[in-house]
Amino acid sequence: MTDEEWLRRWIDYFLTWYDEGRVEEKANEAKEFAAKFLDEGIVSVSGGKDSMALLHIATSAKPDITVFHWDHGAALMPREIEEEILENIKSVAPKAKLIVKKYSLGDSERAREDWRPWYREFFAALRSLGYRYHILGIRADESCRRASRGRIVARKHWVEVHPIYFFTWRDVWAYIFKHRIPVPKTYFIYAKLLGWDKARLVTFFDKEFEKYGSPTIDSILMWRYRHLTK
Amino acid sequence: MQPLEIVFYLSTPVALGAPWLFFDSLLAHIVLKEQLGEKYYSLPTKIPLGGVPEIPLKRWRDLYVASVAIFEPSDTSMHVFSFFKRGDHPFPSGKISRGSGFFKDFYLKAVYIPALKVRFYATGEIDEVRRLVGKVAALGKERNIGFGFVKKVEVKEVEHEWGLVKDGTAMRPIPVQYLKSYEDAAYMPYKPPYWSKKSIALCAPPFTRVELL
Repeated sequence: MTDEEWLRRWIDYFLTWYDEGRVEEKANEAKEFAAKFLDEGIVSVSGGKDSMALLHIATSAKPDITVFHWDHGAALMPREIEEEILENIKSVAPKAKLIVKKYSLGDSERAREDWRPWYREFFAALRSLGYRYHILGIRADESCRRASRGRIVARKHWVEVHPIYFFTWRDVWAYIFKHRIPVPKTYFIYAKLLGWDKARLVTFFDKEFEKYGSPTIDSILMWRYRHLTK
Repeated sequence: MQPLEIVFYLSTPVALGAPWLFFDSLLAHIVLKEQLGEKYYSLPTKIPLGGVPEIPLKRWRDLYVASVAIFEPSDTSMHVFSFFKRGDHPFPSGKISRGSGFFKDFYLKAVYIPALKVRFYATGEIDEVRRLVGKVAALGKERNIGFGFVKKVEVKEVEHEWGLVKDGTAMRPIPVQYLKSYEDAAYMPYKPPYWSKKSIALCAPPFTRVELL
């Protein structure tokens, strides 16, 4: 079976699930929920499947939303994929105000080794945006920790809102394929090896994820980006 | 030196840390183990000890005439084996952290290919190559948990030198500066030690169309 045939069969499966799993009802509910926070909120979009589904839902409620995207830098996110992500965001939310901030150490080898500066800078950037609501594509289905987090979480400086909290991974893929939402092509490479439920868009070659074995997989599937170059 | 074909017959799937296994690094590993004996297992981190040892392979410019692995059957796909790596040490009394530090737990993934045979092409001294590959008990990563066990290995002379290029296809990473034409290029290590940054150059990846200068 070719890669195209494999993908087509899975798309057929997810489109069936869109009806069977009542994904449209869930999406409508998420849209109504998100609409309450969009005027005073900012939608954070990594470019992964969850945030892209969220972006589509949010823009269907309010096309001129504000979108925040964090550029991890070349060490953690190859430039081809980053460019693809930005194009995808612009195509799904053409009327949105897009704010992009880049990690200052993101082009260096250090970004792969030490993730502490990343956290400091990322959360400082979020705070500097000054929005009351941060709307994220977090789902309860992802982990026990996220399941215990809740749909609305009050943080020290903002409130986190999770409109697609009750989507499963199957719902998200069904929504993506039903609405032809663009996602990075690397998803399909990872899905073929790991399965659709485990295919995620996270930073590549990141030591933070070493304990989950992710850099090993990256070294095989993303070998082209293993070695940093100027 | 003669053009050689080296075939490893495997009894268990081979786990990988990169898409390719390199024959020159395999021989360098065996030679270094021979030279250092037990000291091999207590080397000071990742510092090359006076360079790579001499291996019985032909050199072309600064790379060895030795191919990467060809896995057979050729349509064998990759799979993932997930496993936990937990400390085998007796835990001390009191509270310990298993999220970080010495007792940190790992949930690891090994990408493996259930190949039956692994074929290499190289040009070298047949007797010495045969002696060295006879010492290879297993190939690839995660050998300590049973991956890549070698059942037998055959070394034979072949007519053509296919360690660099075979039928217009690169059989190993070749720096683009040594090529007249190439269809693809990426930064990657092209000579042992393959983990060293000093070995990285813009290369034509294995199994892409190339023409040597």
